[in-house]
Amino acid sequence: MFPTSTQCKYWMFSSEEELNQLREKTNTKHIQAYGKNVPEANRYDYFLTPVEESLMAKRYELFLRDFCKGFSPPMPRNVTGTAFHYFKRFYVNNSVMNYHPKEIMVTCVYLACKVEEFNVSIGQFVSNIKGDREKASDIILNNELLLMEQLNYHLAIHNPFRPVEGLIIDIKTRCQSLNDPERLRPGIDQLLDKVFLTDAILLYSPSQMALAAILHAASKLQENLDSYVTDTLFGVDGRGKLEELIEAVRGIRSMVKMADVNPDKNQMKLIEKKLEKCRNPDNNPDSEIYKKRMQALLDDEDEVYNQIMNSNTELDNSTLNMQAL
Amino acid sequence: MDDFICPRCKTSKFQNPSLKMMVNVCGHGLCESCVDLLFLKGSGACPDCRIPLRRNNFRVQLFEDPVIEKEVDIRKRVLRDFNKKEEDFSSLREYNDYLEEIETIIYNLTNDVDIVETNKKIEQYKRENRDFIIKNKSKIGREEYELEEILEIEKQQEELRKNVIKQEEVNAKKKKIQQKEALIDELMFSNANAKNILETFAQNVEEEKNREEVEVAKLPNKMTQFSTGVQFGRASQSIQYLPVKLDEGPLYSYKSVTITTDGPQPPTMDEVLNKGYTRHVRSETEQEMAGGYKANIACMRALQDALAGLFHVKKVNT
Repeated sequence: MFPTSTQCKYWMFSSEEELNQLREKTNTKHIQAYGKNVPEANRYDYFLTPVEESLMAKRYELFLRDFCKGFSPPMPRNVTGTAFHYFKRFYVNNSVMNYHPKEIMVTCVYLACKVEEFNVSIGQFVSNIKGDREKASDIILNNELLLMEQLNYHLAIHNPFRPVEGLIIDIKTRCQSLNDPERLRPGIDQLLDKVFLTDAILLYSPSQMALAAILHAASKLQENLDSYVTDTLFGVDGRGKLEELIEAVRGIRSMVKMADVNPDKNQMKLIEKKLEKCRNPDNNPDSEIYKKRMQALLDDEDEVYNQIMNSNTELDNSTLNMQAL
Repeated sequence: MDDFICPRCKTSKFQNPSLKMMVNVCGHGLCESCVDLLFLKGSGACPDCRIPLRRNNFRVQLFEDPVIEKEVDIRKRVLRDFNKKEEDFSSLREYNDYLEEIETIIYNLTNDVDIVETNKKIEQYKRENRDFIIKNKSKIGREEYELEEILEIEKQQEELRKNVIKQEEVNAKKKKIQQKEALIDELMFSNANAKNILETFAQNVEEEKNREEVEVAKLPNKMTQFSTGVQFGRASQSIQYLPVKLDEGPLYSYKSVTITTDGPQPPTMDEVLNKGYTRHVRSETEQEMAGGYKANIACMRALQDALAGLFHVKKVNT
């Protein structure tokens, strides 16, 4: 049940402003931690601004959608939805400059596959990725634990897909005035596809999004479900809550409309370049620092221990020999 | 045992100090080289009593009197089947009768009295107690396994102790040499009186020795902790259960689940079944029914999910 879930308890926010504030805070925190040597006035020449960061995240959300659409074997929608949730949650508290969205995105999809019981092996998974697959699987597996930690292990996601089914069943049963509710499907899918590109999934409950999608589809077909919502669905015990719901539906639909704006490609390229320069080398698998750290981890701890032991006994024995002479 | 003579080749222990006497089930002895010679094919007859024997049943004779060897063999064989224990009998009297019977059988077989009759008796006993014999056999097997385990552990501990002692000896040697070296260094470079230095060092050495003695005295204590008595105690108890922890506290009282829907009340299962909701979902297939799946369950879940959270209000964060 959504109302008792961690999703409701920890990952629902009050407004877009609050989300943006959190992201700005993340941005400044990152710059304070890594930009001590950069003068205050022109730190944004080097680092990404919060706006640029969110543009980057948006861009990779589009990539995530396309990646999931083109995935083979075909992926159920709830996997995609869960991956979107993970991606968005991750970048509320983490900077794009610290962890590159390219890597986090695939890790989110991989983790979502597991959580939603869409069974693919890592080998099968990386065969959907272009380029060096071994490196990709290394990156995914290395980031998986980090991702889970950053999600606070709140892995269960309530997607709007089941609520949509429930509402359609309910409409078919209790609202005979609408003929053939199956006609609504294309409109519903259209809105749900877009809603994941917005922050709405961090602000509204999945059932609210499902209802918004159904109302959106109905209005596209010039049908009216208002009396179903006000009288049948909410009825007597929901009288006072109706206003809040109308507000939510309106909010979701307007956010979806805003999501249509495509980012400027040239600008995106510039930001990509800038990010390549300012990203944290500690978490960049191509950097020397990262490689060294991984190597050090690989070296057996026992070996280090043995080295110390050996040098100690050698020292001891050398003093003994001196005495024997 | 020194005046042993092989009944066949008449070789004695005096002539051949490495002479090994072997014995088979009939109780007649033979030396090792005779066994090799006579039983080249793997089986043959005993030169004394012409009983057919197998070569791999020969073993080294432990007792001077070969009849005892024979008895040991027979006893082993009989006890394999007569494996009841005292606790299997209701009274001591019965148990003693049972032991008496075993002894009679063994005696008869060893001294060739009523062999046919006795063998019949054994067969009959075997038939009557087949289940019991198998059960007890597995029990004994388990006990033997436990014993072996204990021996293994003891061996390991012994090894460990030896290593520790060795290590200590080396350490002591090293320490001594280091002390000597320190003394010489002190004598070479210090400005103090040589006699004083010697005295303080002697004192140090003495103290060191005392401390070590205390440590050594501690060591055997550690050994008794692993004393075998504890281990045997564990093995002698037939089966040991973990102590059951009793939960002490107020008794559990059932509270019915309260479901927070934060939305309109979803229909009950009766309503789902009777008001036509299930008409709009795919009905379950036969295979799904076998697994306990019913379409109304999925329908119910979809409806609950659809209604839960509809009243959700964006929370105002502080």
